[in-house]
Amino acid sequence: MRLEKCWFCSSTVYPGHGIQFVRNDAKVFRFCRSKCHKNFKMKRNPRKVKWTKAYRRLRGKDMTQDTTFEFERKRNRPERYDRILTEQTLKAIPLITKIRHERQKKHITERQKGGKSMSRKKDAKELEQDLQMLPKKDTVAYEATKQKVIVSQLKTEENLMEE
Amino acid sequence: MVQYNFKKITVVPPGKDFIDIILSRTQRQTPTVVHKGYAIKRIRQFYMRKVRYTQQNFYEKLSTIIDGFPRLDDIHPFYGDLLHVLYNKDHYKLALGQINTARNIIAKISMDYLRLLKYGDTLYRCKCLKVAALGRMCTVLKRITPSLAYLEQIRQHMARLPSIDPNTRTILICGYPNVGKSSFMNKVTRADVDVQPYAFTTKSLFVGHADYKYLRYQVIDTPGILDRPFEDRNIVEMCSITALAHLRAAVLFFLDISGSCGYTIAQQAALFHSIKSLFMNKPVVIVCNKTDLQPLDGLSEEDMKLVMEMKAEAMKTIPQGGDPNEEGVLLTMSALTDEGVMAVKNAACERLLEQRVDIKMKSKKINECLNRFHVALPKARDNRERPTCIPQAVLEAEAVAAAKEKEKLERDLENENGGAGVYSASIKKHYILANDEWKEDILPEILDGHNVADFLDPDILERCEELEREEGLRLEEEAAQDAFTIDGHDELTEEQHEILGKIRKKKAMLIQEHRMKKSTAESRPIVPRKHDKDRKFTTKRMGRQLSSMGVDPTAAVNRLLSQSRGRKRERSLSRADGDDMEVDGQHSDKKLRTRSWSRFQSRPMEVVVPGEGLRDSAQKKKAIKKSRDSVKKRNKQARRGEADRVIPTLRPKHLFSGKRGIGKTSRR
Repeated sequence: MRLEKCWFCSSTVYPGHGIQFVRNDAKVFRFCRSKCHKNFKMKRNPRKVKWTKAYRRLRGKDMTQDTTFEFERKRNRPERYDRILTEQTLKAIPLITKIRHERQKKHITERQKGGKSMSRKKDAKELEQDLQMLPKKDTVAYEATKQKVIVSQLKTEENLMEE
Repeated sequence: MVQYNFKKITVVPPGKDFIDIILSRTQRQTPTVVHKGYAIKRIRQFYMRKVRYTQQNFYEKLSTIIDGFPRLDDIHPFYGDLLHVLYNKDHYKLALGQINTARNIIAKISMDYLRLLKYGDTLYRCKCLKVAALGRMCTVLKRITPSLAYLEQIRQHMARLPSIDPNTRTILICGYPNVGKSSFMNKVTRADVDVQPYAFTTKSLFVGHADYKYLRYQVIDTPGILDRPFEDRNIVEMCSITALAHLRAAVLFFLDISGSCGYTIAQQAALFHSIKSLFMNKPVVIVCNKTDLQPLDGLSEEDMKLVMEMKAEAMKTIPQGGDPNEEGVLLTMSALTDEGVMAVKNAACERLLEQRVDIKMKSKKINECLNRFHVALPKARDNRERPTCIPQAVLEAEAVAAAKEKEKLERDLENENGGAGVYSASIKKHYILANDEWKEDILPEILDGHNVADFLDPDILERCEELEREEGLRLEEEAAQDAFTIDGHDELTEEQHEILGKIRKKKAMLIQEHRMKKSTAESRPIVPRKHDKDRKFTTKRMGRQLSSMGVDPTAAVNRLLSQSRGRKRERSLSRADGDDMEVDGQHSDKKLRTRSWSRFQSRPMEVVVPGEGLRDSAQKKKAIKKSRDSVKKRNKQARRGEADRVIPTLRPKHLFSGKRGIGKTSRR
């Protein structure tokens, strides 16, 4: 028994779940749930459907290139059972997955960096500009903490000249 | 070799059914549709076909009947006579002859009508001719109905006749009624003949089969015969006589020496002598039955003499030149005690065989057979003994194999461990693994949503170490980078966040209010009560708001108050004061002015105003309630008024007619 990947969304299909379609050219399409099956029947391209893994990979939302992925690959050669090797493998699997998860987390934070700084900038600007909308008593405490900006002499002169 | 099996004669249908079969067949097998517009040739052909087909069918059917029944002259004389005895030869022949004539007449009729049909000039005439032809054929058949019924009965009876082969080895049992013929038959063969303690239990011939010296013998049980003139014998007796007369068989003449059958030995002897002409050239055995009641030795001298006479007669039947031993001629037996039964059978068979071989030896054909026989015997080379030889090596190998313990099979294991259903065979024990202990391991297949098999790799340990090292490096690098990075825009403090939240809330409120204002009908400056349920838009509140914004509200409030006036009672009271003053005659014009200026006095709805046409306030109340009730339903249905009875176009023409082009089904 094996865990398979859904053809549409690439999620894991456990035994006894989902549905399988075999095309007349013997290609097998596995689906984790009816949602994926229906989308397949509607001839949707998983690369263009936002909630699929394929979409996320294509747009760089998820980590695609990493050494941890190389550990897990389908082997079509039958191996003779070895208890020691199996033990080592069973110990290695959680380790590998843990490292992978961390890297994925890192990948996402890296990816979100730009957007975060933008939003911070926006927040700061809004705070600056629209502070007077609030009644004075609310803002007094905050104003006090704010540093006074020292306007340079030069700037005033320039302003005056313009006027 | 002719097989006498009368079971295969086809069924003879009764006359009416016969006609139905033939006519329905014609109807089914020939065309049924004809029109008068057809060419006359075609019409004629259509009807001629019908007539011819019917005749052919009649012919075939009648022929099968005629051919199916045996011709008495052609079959074996035994059967010929038997059938004559049973069914009367004349009657039988007559019936078959009638059928033959009917067949010919039908053929003739059809020929006549076919000739006539050639001249039929209309469909109607042709049809009439056809009807006439078929009708006449049926009439002919109807006339032979009794013959058909008779033949059917005969057929049924014949099917039940025993299938006696007249040419094979046969043993015939005859004698007076009730002397024990059928009992002997039951003992010797597997036939189940009815045995009863009264005369003429057996009323027809019965056949059984017995084996002797690997040969099969046919044993025929005949009904009893009485000693009386040939002409007086009835059908039952005649069956026996026929068999005796025509079958080349060994005859067992049964003699009841005890006399319990009701006939004395003398009577039986008389019978023997009267029918002895039928025994010519046949081995005859006289069987003294019922010795359990009366042994042969105990007979009186007279009787003994009769028996001996019979024996002497029987001896005569032995052909000259045959061995004249007396052994197999007079035998005693008891069907009750089984004593001598087998001896009787064996003697009869032996004598029959001897006779048949004798006859065969005398025939001309025998030389052809004898020429082909040759019995070969190997000649002894010398006097040495040559027993079978088994090599020593083979014997040793066999001994070793016997001594060796057998390899344990899975079946043996099963039997040792509780047998089938309890023992379950393990395939795992045949695994070839590095360590035998691992054989029974349960292999993990799935772990944390991964296939374990996908991770199996001989050098997984090294690779894992490598990965950990790499990860450590990465983490270090990351830490270093974190320390180095400077972001121009820091995260806002909690306080800042709070204030920002307030700002955003305020903005949202403003937008919401603005939208609401926009949506209220015609953006009226006055907020209707409907939208001001919680009394938000009050003067007091406005004042408070203005003051909170740092503006002096008094002027605005005063302005509002000046515009709207309350309906305080004090004013009317003050007016009443004025009235008092009026008495004085001052301010009369002023009073009028004030009154006109005054606000229209409000009053409850139920107060009756003269001119409304209502009696009192109660009636008015009722009327108001009624009017409200009446519009309630209408309002619920969102009608504009009583006249709002719009029926929308349910199936707009433009949506339901014409071809569909590009566009939606709902809007085209």
